[in-house]
Amino acid sequence: MTSPEVIEEHAGKAADWVGVAREASHAFVAGAAVEERRELVIVQLAAGEYAIPVERIREIVRLAKVTRIPRTPDWLVGVVALRGEILEVVDLRRRLGLPATEATRASRIVVIHGDDDGVAGLLVDSVKGVLRARERDVVPAQGHDFRSVVELVRSGMGFVSILDLDRVLGAGDE
Amino acid sequence: MKRILIVEDSATMRSLIVASLENLAGPVKIVEAKSGFEALRLLPRETFDLVVTDINMPDINGLELASFLKSSEKHASTPLVIVSTEGAERDIQKGLGIGADAYLVKPFDPEALRQIVLDLLAGRAQER
Amino acid sequence: MAAPRARKPGKKTGAGGSRERAETARDGREFVAEAEEILEQMSGDLCLLHEQRHADGDVDPELVHRLFRSAHTLKGLAGLFGLDPISRLAHRFEDILDGLRLGRIDLRARVVGMLDEGAATLLELISGFGRQAELPEAAMARAEHYLAELEQSLAPSPSDALDGLDAPGIDPTLLRALTEYEEHRLRENLQRGRPIVLIDATFDLTSFEDGLTEISAAVRESGEIISTLPSASASAERKICFTLLVATNLAPEQLGRRIDQSNCAFRVVHTGRIDAPANAPAAPPSPGGTDGEKAETLRPADELAEASQSGEPTKIESLRSISGSVRVDIAKLDLLMNLVGELVSHRNALAGIVARLTADSRNARIGADLAKVQKLLDRRLRQLQAGVLDVRMVPLRQVFEKLSRVVRRLRVDLGKEVALEFAGGDTELDKLIVEQLVDPLVHVVRNAFDHALESPDEREAAGKPPIGRIRVAAFQRGNHVVLEVGDDGRGMDVEAIRSKAVSRGLVGAQEVLSEREVLNLVFEAGLSTRDEVSETSGRGVGMDVVRSNLAALGGLVEVSSRRGLGTTITITLPITLAIIQALIVRVGDERYAIPLGSVRETLRAGEQPVLHSEDKEILNLRGSPLLLKNLAYEFGIESDCERERQFVVVLGMGEHRLGLVVDGLEGQQDIVIKPIKGPLQTIHGIAGATELGDRVAVLVVDVSALVLETARRREAA
Repeated sequence: MTSPEVIEEHAGKAADWVGVAREASHAFVAGAAVEERRELVIVQLAAGEYAIPVERIREIVRLAKVTRIPRTPDWLVGVVALRGEILEVVDLRRRLGLPATEATRASRIVVIHGDDDGVAGLLVDSVKGVLRARERDVVPAQGHDFRSVVELVRSGMGFVSILDLDRVLGAGDE
Repeated sequence: MKRILIVEDSATMRSLIVASLENLAGPVKIVEAKSGFEALRLLPRETFDLVVTDINMPDINGLELASFLKSSEKHASTPLVIVSTEGAERDIQKGLGIGADAYLVKPFDPEALRQIVLDLLAGRAQER
Repeated sequence: MAAPRARKPGKKTGAGGSRERAETARDGREFVAEAEEILEQMSGDLCLLHEQRHADGDVDPELVHRLFRSAHTLKGLAGLFGLDPISRLAHRFEDILDGLRLGRIDLRARVVGMLDEGAATLLELISGFGRQAELPEAAMARAEHYLAELEQSLAPSPSDALDGLDAPGIDPTLLRALTEYEEHRLRENLQRGRPIVLIDATFDLTSFEDGLTEISAAVRESGEIISTLPSASASAERKICFTLLVATNLAPEQLGRRIDQSNCAFRVVHTGRIDAPANAPAAPPSPGGTDGEKAETLRPADELAEASQSGEPTKIESLRSISGSVRVDIAKLDLLMNLVGELVSHRNALAGIVARLTADSRNARIGADLAKVQKLLDRRLRQLQAGVLDVRMVPLRQVFEKLSRVVRRLRVDLGKEVALEFAGGDTELDKLIVEQLVDPLVHVVRNAFDHALESPDEREAAGKPPIGRIRVAAFQRGNHVVLEVGDDGRGMDVEAIRSKAVSRGLVGAQEVLSEREVLNLVFEAGLSTRDEVSETSGRGVGMDVVRSNLAALGGLVEVSSRRGLGTTITITLPITLAIIQALIVRVGDERYAIPLGSVRETLRAGEQPVLHSEDKEILNLRGSPLLLKNLAYEFGIESDCERERQFVVVLGMGEHRLGLVVDGLEGQQDIVIKPIKGPLQTIHGIAGATELGDRVAVLVVDVSALVLETARRREAA
């Protein structure tokens, strides 16, 4: 996995995250056999780590002032303005049923593409790094009662849940 | 989710192509670009599983777009289908020569396009 | 990788023709719309062609190429819909233009006359088809006549095309991507001895079009761009490279002076002939082929002679009657709007800085100077804004015409008659709103026609004229446009609606509702009469969707009806969605924006007497009661501001009034309302958000939702 420091360094620039993530991972696995890989960004939420497919990520930004919206479900933190665009910020912890927490300097908003041109921001505790996994390291999440996780990826000694973004964001109802 | 990019300046033509690709097996997202430039703006940020393009377009023509795709590491192996009114043997050879995987002459048979797209999408998955 | 394949069509009119024809109804309309646009473009270009010919005999090859492409596209489209006469005509048109652009035909008055006639006939055919869904006889006859004539008259001059392309020094990758036309241009320039230069330019992804425009402007003065080849930048994902194949009389240094050098490199690949004029004046090459057959500038006398020979009146005048309008892509308008919006943002930030400077005694002088300039900037910006907004405004007549067409079809489908009336077609609205307005409006009209109007027998029995009337009227009211769709049909059955609402659980059986409230229940999702939807009443889209579509535009829809007499649907829309003036208010720690167009006045809360009635507060505003709503309470925000320090913002929408109580007023600002993107689709009470100068998102209050809700509740009281 690529270190958070490398990523932090790039996070300051308004660079295209996908490109950076790719470059960073390429540097790590130069020389590896050509096999289809899945690139996932690993984020921290409460005590656990979760993975988000890189191709769904538009960019990752620091937590800026979020404007609260009245009378909305508690998983909606509010909206942020990003270069003229107004995006909803979803509290991923709440969405996944994890205990809520205060944001810190390490908190980030992962801006993702929804399906049909939707965009949304996901609030995470921190971004750990990029994982370039082989296809065979991805397994279906059976026997787990996760509503938002369909697959797991092997990482180190354990498994990390890959967030199924469409399920996580659902139709916004609840 | 399979993503298909359609580059075509005629609105009617575009909707015909989209209609031909309705109900492909599995989730498919179709992105439309009205011109070569619009496609150029999209391409660096996104990957597609297939690109369908016209040749005669105002800013850059389909062959130039094809050349761009082949020159980009990201898109070089993306299957490319050309759908064009230029039907002379020479034009077809040009299109295939520049790297297109299939060349359909307009007016095209929607079924044929569908089949070609299905085959190309499947061919790619097999590579994995 | 699958082996490359090529497929040619089985039949000339398209192997897939039958399948496409099955959807003719919808596609036919699309075809007509696109065809009309193409024709308009063509007439404009033909006009230019005339002008250029008269000016110096040389014609811009780009113009001819554009005309060719228009005809080509038209031919293809017509072919798909089996419209043979149009397709054949377009084909011949295309042949002429092909001959012109490839240098096989000379551009003489006669040729241009034929192009004019061809375009006029095409226009007739297409408009006729658009109106009647079939081709008009007279136009078809003219087309046949025209085609017959063409067979006899055009004799193309011998082609001087070289077979191979002798272009050393040019990268084969570039050559491979040249279309036949581009190859011709290259050959022609080589023949004329023009130097060929390759320009390699790298641009940012976001601004390459501007960069290319700059270069092409510089090149066009002295030559032409033959081809533009893009390639991905190896080093940076946000950049894109272009290699331009250019024929120009300018030396690279001269070119370099006209173009921003920092991202360009020039390579001369062909130095051109010595006898080619090095600093030739700007005229682009004529499509006339070799020198000997070059089209000469015709003097009026010659032209008249030619015209009388051809026996046809020169139709030059007929195409000159192009209205002074330009068709603009809405995307371009949006881009302009966004730019203006950003300018406004920067202007706001600047204003803040100026204020800080002037407040500081050390910088007061500079602050004052800056303030002066800022004032001028403000004025220009306002004018720019007004100008761009104005460009976006289109008359509602367009929508009325569409409605007419829909009704015409409905007459046939339903076998019913109706007298359709329109008023206020000149009323203008933002183009974006108009585009979104069409669907809901069509639905409303369809409903009226299908359900509300009774059969002639029923009407006679009721003492009404046998043919029902539907009237669509539009007028402006302040910052809004009101659209009324009224019919004199059977009106709505309030009791039936009420009982249906009760049975669907939308309303309690004991609940007391005014007639108006019951009527407006038809907009509730549970109530749309989907079980009675007939084929023509839309695609099962209910009135609830109509309301939400309109609400998305910031609009309001209401219904009023009289049993037996008729129904009127009233739609109130803001004039423009784009930049609006807003009042920024503070509630607790949060700020909100309220569109100024809906603000009637503002007052200090403390100064007015307030009546408390049940749990409502009513303010006496010059004798009239004004219901108050506390925004902090409404939005669940904590606020401990004392009443004396609060303000009341009086909102008005249509006839309704509401007073919003807020903690502070922070001035007016120009804002651009942006949609809120994300998984949560509807947010009650919020119309969108905007980014204020300090990069913070501020929510924009949905005035109509608040006002309407209050009005409803009030009626129940």
